[in-house]
Amino acid sequence: MSEKNMANVRRRLIATAAAAALVAGGLLVGGASGASAKPTTGGTLYMITHAGQFAHADPQRNYTGQDIAFFNTYLYRNLVVYKPAAGPSGSGLVADLATNTGVPSNSAKTWKFTLRPGVKWEDGTAITCADVKYGVSRTFATDVITDGPAYALSMLAIPQDAKGNSLYAGPYKKTGQKLFDKAVTCSKDNRTITFNLSHSVADFNYATSYPAFGPVKASKDTGDKYDLHPLSSGPYKIAKYTINGEMDLVRNANWSKASDSVRTPYPDNVTVRFGLDSNVIDQIMLSDSIPNTVNLDGLQPVNNRAFFADDKYSARRMNVYDPYVRYYGLNSSAGHLDCLAVRKAVFYAWPIQSLIDLAGGTVFYGDVGDSPIKPVLGLDYAKTTGNVHDSNFKTAGNPAYAKSLLAQAKTDCPATYAKVTGDAGISIDLPNTSTQQKASVLLKAGLDAAGFNTKFNFIPSGQYYPTVQDITKQGDVTRAGWGADWANASTVIPPLFLKDGGFDLSGNWGDAVYPAFKAKVDAASAETNRPKQAAAWKSLAQFAMDQFWITPPIFGKAQLDWGSKVGGVAFWDPQGTFLFPALYVK
Amino acid sequence: MLKFVSRRLAYTFAVLVLVSIVVFIIFNYLPIDPARLTCGKSCFPALIEANRHRLGLDVPWWEQWWRFIHGLFAGRSYAEGSAAIVCGAPSFGYSFNQHSCVTSLIGQAFPVTFSLAIGSFILWMIMGISLGVLAARFKGRMPDRIATVFVLVGTSLPTFISGLLILLFVVLKFNLINPIEMGQWMSPFSNPWGYFKEFIFPCITLALAYAATYTRFTRSNVIETSSEDFIRTAKAKGLSSGVILRKHTLRAALSPILTIAGLDFAGLLGGAIITEQIFNLPGLGRLSIKAVLTDYDLPVILSTTLLAAAFVVIANLVVDIAYAFIDPRVRVA
Repeated sequence: MSEKNMANVRRRLIATAAAAALVAGGLLVGGASGASAKPTTGGTLYMITHAGQFAHADPQRNYTGQDIAFFNTYLYRNLVVYKPAAGPSGSGLVADLATNTGVPSNSAKTWKFTLRPGVKWEDGTAITCADVKYGVSRTFATDVITDGPAYALSMLAIPQDAKGNSLYAGPYKKTGQKLFDKAVTCSKDNRTITFNLSHSVADFNYATSYPAFGPVKASKDTGDKYDLHPLSSGPYKIAKYTINGEMDLVRNANWSKASDSVRTPYPDNVTVRFGLDSNVIDQIMLSDSIPNTVNLDGLQPVNNRAFFADDKYSARRMNVYDPYVRYYGLNSSAGHLDCLAVRKAVFYAWPIQSLIDLAGGTVFYGDVGDSPIKPVLGLDYAKTTGNVHDSNFKTAGNPAYAKSLLAQAKTDCPATYAKVTGDAGISIDLPNTSTQQKASVLLKAGLDAAGFNTKFNFIPSGQYYPTVQDITKQGDVTRAGWGADWANASTVIPPLFLKDGGFDLSGNWGDAVYPAFKAKVDAASAETNRPKQAAAWKSLAQFAMDQFWITPPIFGKAQLDWGSKVGGVAFWDPQGTFLFPALYVK
Repeated sequence: MLKFVSRRLAYTFAVLVLVSIVVFIIFNYLPIDPARLTCGKSCFPALIEANRHRLGLDVPWWEQWWRFIHGLFAGRSYAEGSAAIVCGAPSFGYSFNQHSCVTSLIGQAFPVTFSLAIGSFILWMIMGISLGVLAARFKGRMPDRIATVFVLVGTSLPTFISGLLILLFVVLKFNLINPIEMGQWMSPFSNPWGYFKEFIFPCITLALAYAATYTRFTRSNVIETSSEDFIRTAKAKGLSSGVILRKHTLRAALSPILTIAGLDFAGLLGGAIITEQIFNLPGLGRLSIKAVLTDYDLPVILSTTLLAAAFVVIANLVVDIAYAFIDPRVRVA
């Protein structure tokens, strides 16, 4: 998923078999609060953030790792969820509303989930298959549910029109309702839900860990306003939620531990305070003035360095690999970098170490990577060859080698060569922030030394992704970031490198090699044998790197901090944030 | 007089209409597409168009403007089927980012901004006028020098500096307010102490800058008035200096200050963006800045802009009418 506003938007990543890789590779660079002490019940757990609100509280619109982790822990119950555990076991699915993690059939084109008995809404009524079905149907109401994961749209066996729009318009208009009723069915006892998919999806159950596949009670659905007060099925319910104010969660009397094998809600109350000034947040965390507080944002860079340099804070901090790969897409569409030698020259001239140092250094920002797939994906990651492993690659940039590549480009593709070295130059899209303004100086120095004429498109940060995702407005090189939706590179390679993947900033669909690449991606997506599929993803990652569709990637890191009275702190790998279910007030 | 008031009312109305049109035009010609901004990651063309329709941006700006004006008097509805949303008159529109009718958002934010504005107003008037009078009364002596320093500091310290200094080195350092509770609206009737604690520091922050300016105004006005003939006459009649100051000098010197104060107060009612931001106060300033910088939320931008304009224009109207009562020449002009 895209790196939209990294501070607040944390999307999902699974680290299935990654623990060994993490530890062996020295990826966990900081300490974590051990969960060794016995958790205590009671108290109020505070969470603070500069953001004015949760991106979304509506389950069908919820699509950021931190928000999903929060709501799945405290407010929603899903068919399946990630195991609330630190380390690799936290990446495994466990049954939640369902009695198992899904039963596939028909080559994984049909998936069944049976609901466990005794699960209730906060109003005391039972959660039924019809509620889950209704919840899933809301994703199709694109006039109300305007964002959020669209997996239901692309996976369910519901016909689409010539433009690719679903013929089902959601539960509010009910157009095409019969089509949906055929694709998603409930058993007579209203306990078993069956999803009929348009194609084989071997990891469909991972998609159902998204709240978008969770229940919504039709009679309590308030459309757009449901985002302010979703009906709880979890251990807490919303007592108060004001944008730019706070969200207060209190215990849900109709939730019972007997019906929930996943959650152990420790605090009596959870309060999220929105809109605090970043300086105030840093002050609170540095002084530990509210010790039962978790900082959802991380500290500002200067304070972050001080916080991690001082041993007295060692029990209140954690430095971990986050779910993201940061990179720059090299736009290979016509009129841009439609020449392999030019893209290669950009790759080898790229001053990646300077960019890492600018953003916090290897300790805080991340390491030079070699693939769009991050090692924490375990099964799907393999060390690639060439690119950053080539002897000509230098982290400071290798302008001499890049020059030789450009000289080759002058013969291979004179028009592209003339563009990137002439008046038109090579244009780099950057969000218009002070950090990126500084980065532009480093980039210009690095690329100009190789013979490029480097120019920049500074785009207001709030409009950055919507702008660059429009190919007509995208420059030659585009800054981006991505994290897998779950433990399968099916949520990395297709979105990043297929035209209709949703986040293809490489503009590669005009490339001569694209048809062959797409055929391989389609085959990998349909592969139900997981090891074979993993091998395909590894090969496709190598393919993308060989085509230099991206610059040298960075495997990113994140720092977390919390107050001295918060216990059980750990990192939840699949969600890329705090392991919320383990948090308690000491 | 009736003719004068009618004319001024017509001007006021015209200004507000003009402001609303200008905001619509600006918003429409910005290189931003709110329909794209609100559709998240899965942003395919049909969804963008659906969003554009939902936001009411699929019609020309004049039609959008007319719908807005119509909504003010007749209310508006959004979305279709069972997800329909109705915002009753006077409707300023619906914020899809905050999932609320803008009228109710303004209703929640206005008491916060009003509390901040009125608190600051009282503080700066007391501080500014007192110091100004003292400085004038003791011109060239210690109180005057102290006032001069205050004026220098107050006018040269921007609110975002003084606010942060007060917040970090006074409020938080001495635990005067629990930062978790900071910025929550507390009714002065149900929780007067909480209300006081909530607003006293933001009010001081805002008042410091204004008080400095008003100290300078007051000082110069009092000094200027003190040299008027009628003051000399009062002195000749043997009135005490205290009586002269209270009954003659101040009455004459403060009239123009009160006029400016009224306009400044009206301006603050539109939202003190920086102070509200620093102290996390959920007032109109914060509402506006979120709508502009984060959400590109046209109904909120338009409503808060119109409201701010309305406060200033109405304050001007009141001042003009008051002047017309005092000075008949204004009516003729």
